[in-house]
Amino acid sequence: MVDQLFFNPIYIIGIGLAAAFFLGFFHRGTLAPRIIMVAVTAAFTIISLAWMQAFLLQGQTAEHGQAAAQVFTAGFQPPFSINLRMGAEEAFLTLLINISGLLGGIYLLDTLKKMGSHAVSVFIILIMGMNGIIMTRDIFNLFVFMEIVSIAVAGLIVLQKETNSLAAGFKYMIAAGIISVFLLLGIILAYAVGGSLNIDFLTAADLPGAKAGMIALFFLVIALLLELKPFPANGWALDVYDAAPAGVSAILAAAGSAAAYYALVKILPLGSSSHYTLVAAAGAVTFLGSNLLGLKQHRGRRLLGYSSVGQVGLLLIILGFSEVLGAQRDYIAAGIILSHSLAKAILFWLAGMLKQDGLEAWAALRKKPILLILFGSAVFALVGFPPFPSFFAKWELILLLNGGRFYLWSAVILGASFLEAVYLFRWFGYALKMDNEKLAEPEAPLFRLLPPIVFGILLYGAGWYMGSILEGFANFSYIPLAFILFLALIDRLPAWIKNTVSIAGVTFYIIDLYPRLEGDLLRLIFAGIFLIGAVLTLLSGYYYKGRRAGFYPLALTMFAGLAVLIEAANLLEFFYGWELMTIGSYFLLIRGKKSMPHGYSYMLFSVGGSFAMLFGFSLAAAGAGSIAMSALTGVTVLPMLAYSLMLVGFLTKTASVGLHIWLPGAHGEAVADIHFMASAILLKAGVFGLITVLLGMGAEASYTGPILFVLGWIGALSALLGNISASFQESAKRLLAWSSIGQLGYIVFGLATMSHLGWLIAISYSVTHFLYKGILFLVIGGIALKLGTPYMYKMGGLIKRMPFSFLAVLIAIITLSGVPPLVGFAAKWITYNLIISEGIYYQGFIVLISGIVAFLYLFRMIYTMFLGQLKDNLRTVREINIWFLIPVYLLLAAIMVLSFFPNMLLRPVGEMLSGYFPDGAIAWTGTLGTTRLGYYDGGAIMYVIGGIFVAALLFFFSLRKRTQQVKQFNIFYSGEAPSRPELSHFSYNFFAHYQKAIGVLTLPLVTNFWNWLSGILHGTADFFRRIYTGNGQTYAYHLVLYIVVVFFLQRGGM
Amino acid sequence: MNFGSLALGLGFLLILIGFWGLLTQKNLIKIVIGFSVVDTGVHIIMVGIGYLQGRTAPILDAALMQRTAAAGNQAGASADVGSLIVDPVPQALVLTAIVIGLGITALLLAYVVRLHEQRQSLDISSYEDLKW
Amino acid sequence: MSSFGSVPVKILYALLSIFIVMNIGLLLQGVTRKIYARVSKRIGIRFYQPYIDLVKNYFLRDLVSHGVMFYLGPIFRLTSGVGMILFIPLIYGSPVFSNFSFSGDAVLVLYFMFFGTLGMALGSGESGQPYSAIGVARGLAQVTAAEIPLILSFLAVFIQYQTLSISTIVGAQQGGFMHWTMITNPLATATALLAFLGSMMRSPFDVVLAPQEIPIGPPTEYHGAFLGILQTNRAIFPIAKTILYVNLFFGGAGNWFEFIIKAFLLYMWSVVVGTVFPRYRVDHSIRWFLKVPLALGLLSIIFLQIG
Repeated sequence: MVDQLFFNPIYIIGIGLAAAFFLGFFHRGTLAPRIIMVAVTAAFTIISLAWMQAFLLQGQTAEHGQAAAQVFTAGFQPPFSINLRMGAEEAFLTLLINISGLLGGIYLLDTLKKMGSHAVSVFIILIMGMNGIIMTRDIFNLFVFMEIVSIAVAGLIVLQKETNSLAAGFKYMIAAGIISVFLLLGIILAYAVGGSLNIDFLTAADLPGAKAGMIALFFLVIALLLELKPFPANGWALDVYDAAPAGVSAILAAAGSAAAYYALVKILPLGSSSHYTLVAAAGAVTFLGSNLLGLKQHRGRRLLGYSSVGQVGLLLIILGFSEVLGAQRDYIAAGIILSHSLAKAILFWLAGMLKQDGLEAWAALRKKPILLILFGSAVFALVGFPPFPSFFAKWELILLLNGGRFYLWSAVILGASFLEAVYLFRWFGYALKMDNEKLAEPEAPLFRLLPPIVFGILLYGAGWYMGSILEGFANFSYIPLAFILFLALIDRLPAWIKNTVSIAGVTFYIIDLYPRLEGDLLRLIFAGIFLIGAVLTLLSGYYYKGRRAGFYPLALTMFAGLAVLIEAANLLEFFYGWELMTIGSYFLLIRGKKSMPHGYSYMLFSVGGSFAMLFGFSLAAAGAGSIAMSALTGVTVLPMLAYSLMLVGFLTKTASVGLHIWLPGAHGEAVADIHFMASAILLKAGVFGLITVLLGMGAEASYTGPILFVLGWIGALSALLGNISASFQESAKRLLAWSSIGQLGYIVFGLATMSHLGWLIAISYSVTHFLYKGILFLVIGGIALKLGTPYMYKMGGLIKRMPFSFLAVLIAIITLSGVPPLVGFAAKWITYNLIISEGIYYQGFIVLISGIVAFLYLFRMIYTMFLGQLKDNLRTVREINIWFLIPVYLLLAAIMVLSFFPNMLLRPVGEMLSGYFPDGAIAWTGTLGTTRLGYYDGGAIMYVIGGIFVAALLFFFSLRKRTQQVKQFNIFYSGEAPSRPELSHFSYNFFAHYQKAIGVLTLPLVTNFWNWLSGILHGTADFFRRIYTGNGQTYAYHLVLYIVVVFFLQRGGM
Repeated sequence: MNFGSLALGLGFLLILIGFWGLLTQKNLIKIVIGFSVVDTGVHIIMVGIGYLQGRTAPILDAALMQRTAAAGNQAGASADVGSLIVDPVPQALVLTAIVIGLGITALLLAYVVRLHEQRQSLDISSYEDLKW
Repeated sequence: MSSFGSVPVKILYALLSIFIVMNIGLLLQGVTRKIYARVSKRIGIRFYQPYIDLVKNYFLRDLVSHGVMFYLGPIFRLTSGVGMILFIPLIYGSPVFSNFSFSGDAVLVLYFMFFGTLGMALGSGESGQPYSAIGVARGLAQVTAAEIPLILSFLAVFIQYQTLSISTIVGAQQGGFMHWTMITNPLATATALLAFLGSMMRSPFDVVLAPQEIPIGPPTEYHGAFLGILQTNRAIFPIAKTILYVNLFFGGAGNWFEFIIKAFLLYMWSVVVGTVFPRYRVDHSIRWFLKVPLALGLLSIIFLQIG
């Protein structure tokens, strides 16, 4: 039980008023007022903390738990006195407010010093007022506290000597005045009808029953709504966020929004369901509108304003849907509030450390990595990524909304969140990659650094806590994440140590995981791709000399996400893993020098895809009534939409045509081992997702026909487009990137057939693509790293310098192209069987042609890099790093084994698939596979071809010719010797004729489409944001107009 | 027509006039005055709502007690003092609201002074630097 | 399928098959060159001239090499040609001359064709000869287009007979020429014949070698015994392709006489067209394949689906 003598909530009011009063006696500039301020806010925090821990430890309503406390004033019971309430909600919110006050005060220490002791007392009053708003149960008292807060905010701003701040403060006061007028009218009318000012008495009075009561409620609700800055009547609020001292804006965003939200939470139960609808609608308009208009904003602080307003809109939606969300409303709201408040405060505090406010100027944060980490954490928290609280809140919200069939609402929420992600990640990309040489280092003395760091830790802690109390996530194992944290902590050590630690960690995980997956071949295969792939890439990581700051935690985040996908017990864990993987991969992909736009577009497609997936999952869960993985089987609620959305979500990761535009750049700019992770491993996550969904969907239901038809064409066209485009690339890395699109197209095509052979192709491709693409990425990446350029026309003749690389690439491309005798041929053979036995001739035909087109880029790559004329500047290059060659040759060995014994892979996979698709399996006798249509004996082919080759070679040797090795320029060249290798190395624009003939197929139509869409969104944003004219009077008009419009809409609705 | 309705009508009129001033005048001081007028209108409405025809001021003195007793005798039972006086709560609220309104007005005027110091202009359209 | 004979016997018969096919190929080459000459009003070479060239090249003393891959290129090429012969059942009903066709079906043959192309392209690439690279680039670009009718017509055949096994397809065509695919599926056959032109390295699709233009393209730097090997392959490889077509579309061959007649006639189809038409540029030939042959191929599959 909380000791009321020490921790009585009324002390907050009392201490606050007293401290503010006595501060008037101090002189300007002395230290004492600020010490008092810190002490007072710390006392506030301790009081809230005492209550909070009581509620947390004992529960609020349990028999022996801590009951919500009522505090009465002036010795009377309500309605004759004002009472304060301290329940779990109040404890939580006041704690948030008071910690913000404490840390915000510390952050403002030097600002307040300049402003003087008056400012300190105003600051204390501000925090006290917010506490009052939360705790009071009396509507007039609520009004008083709200006015106190408004005046305090304006008071802090008026102490600034800057025109923009003053103007913003004036606009704010005008708005606050107008709002107070309507609030007063509402209060007095409510009193007239209900006969009391106490909220609990008014609830009993049934205000909606009377006409005057309805008017009273309208005024009350609209006033509190306007206090929450609904779009579009919120220009004044944006100005305040923009122009107030950063520390003040931080408190307004973190604590002010929470307080205003809770005021509305208290008032709304007085009204009827129509008021809830009104709030939800206002929230939706705000969330969408504010984030849309934020798209064009190019100043950091103001953009934070847009984002804050938007997040409050989301809170309003949650509040409006109280009935639907039921007991989970407060959980969801708490998740959003926590993420929003902590993240927004961090962001405003960071803004205060920067000299310039343009979004590009945030690149200065890079000069202090801790600030960049905080920035990133805040951005990911705002968008709703794990491990932050908003992730769980958004999950529950969408799940419950779609469970209640409010599809449009959840679509609006996700759409608006996406818009928010659009500007946040653009901004974050600037911070990560923009040139920051000319920017001043952020001013971050300890007292300014401490608050955001504390909030950052709280953000992660809150995420952990929110997850741990959510049913369905309580059993989640945090050990991998703890390991990542450990890696982050030892980030100062040299790379090879961290590399060893990482490899040890992943290996340990594999050993630990294997028994759990035994017997589940599907998961085993993908676990193998993900985790053995992880070990191999990490092995190549030894090439790096130095620290490689930040690389290991992020790479391991990606692999942890992938591992979670494999082990997920339910949809929530699956989604968590998916998002974790997205975070890790985003940071890996954006590490390249020119990767900013590509990492950005990767992130946007990922976020869009994961929102689609979330929507789909929630529909599945709505039908099944649970979030177990089995919910994906036989979805009953809007199944066609649900499955389509899930598939679209996964197709963003497989980079299938239409959703592929991020890949060439993102992969093409990535460093060698990252390229391997991103392409050979990461893309398979999409495949794994597709498999998971398709297994659930099956092919029986009528809606599956169109879905599979479209999916098949997406796969086939991806294959064609990817391969043709790859042929036209000058950069070897981009070439491989496009090639991945093509290869993944085969896999998608195979899956879409929903047949034994199709899935056999898909899964065996997943494995072989991992093998040969792993080789290609490591070797090509290693060469690009060594030569400092990925452009193939700058290479040539490297076979003489890098024979081991050449051999590896040769084997890899023979496998990729599907030429016998290597294992790649098996896939081609199964493809023919599949096409004919399933009768999918046209898609199949496209896929087969794509396979032929692959020869173009494969030859181009190996020729222009390794053959032809060696350039003068490359005459002394050496073989690529041994740490690249080791994993390459391991992969090569795997290819050779599978080539001799294709049945080692195909047979068990086929047996496993027979469980799902019994028809059309391949019959195996040794290495001979037989289908209804044909046969193929991998071993025999190897021996026959090997035999012929050796025989031909022996025959040639038997001719006993004197062979003379000649110099490079000794070629038939019209009797001349070429003077420079560049002149006789045919490499640039290799397939010019091909481009002339069919280049029309590679016009960037998809890219143009997305650019067009983005242009429209930004244009709309630019047009509509002009409503914020900057004129205070216009904003007053907006407020009045908003009230009038809502009034008439409300009447129309009633 | 009683005083209550009159007060309500007057208050409503003042609010309209105030808003007119607030929304049309370009001069910062006039805008503040507009707000002040609105605020006054609201106060009058508050008082008007609390006012009841034929009742007296809520001061519990000897005269009131006598009237209570008299009313009780008329009705043949003991009367409640509350049925003879106007409700005191709205009046208390008005007092608080007036104080707060004053605070807001003062702060607004302080802003006007500061703004004028910055740009020597009282036109609201001179302060539109922050926008979009 | 692999019930016949021990390995040494198999190898002997394989050598015999190769020997027969090589002779057919060399003779056909000689005859063709004679025809070309006569059409352009020249006397032309003796029909056994290819033998003389071959022997001469094999007996040249010296070799110039540009590197390992250059050295191995012709070996790859020959492996591919020989492998094709050995993977295709040459004579219907003869287990002896089905050689190693038990290893795989028509798909194996289709893809193994590229083995030599790839090896040759890589070998010539190492020479550093730009014309070789140009020739390969042209060849690859053109083959993607020429494969379109090829794949479509082959698919049509596979669909029609519901098998990928070459001997089963030939078996289904037995019993008079009315059972040949040529008659039962004329659209597919027409498509295949057009595709055939694209794969025979003859005018109008000889831009890969393109004599007078890029010396002779990929093999430019090859000489002596290297060239000898390439010439051997050039004798074998077209016959292998031809016999594949014969098997799929023209009822296969029951004996060596039928084999020679059918191979000769089909071979002459590309020769006749080659003598009449001039060379296409690459982009022209690609577009050409994307018009009539593509349409024909699609039609053949559509008809199969309807019928």
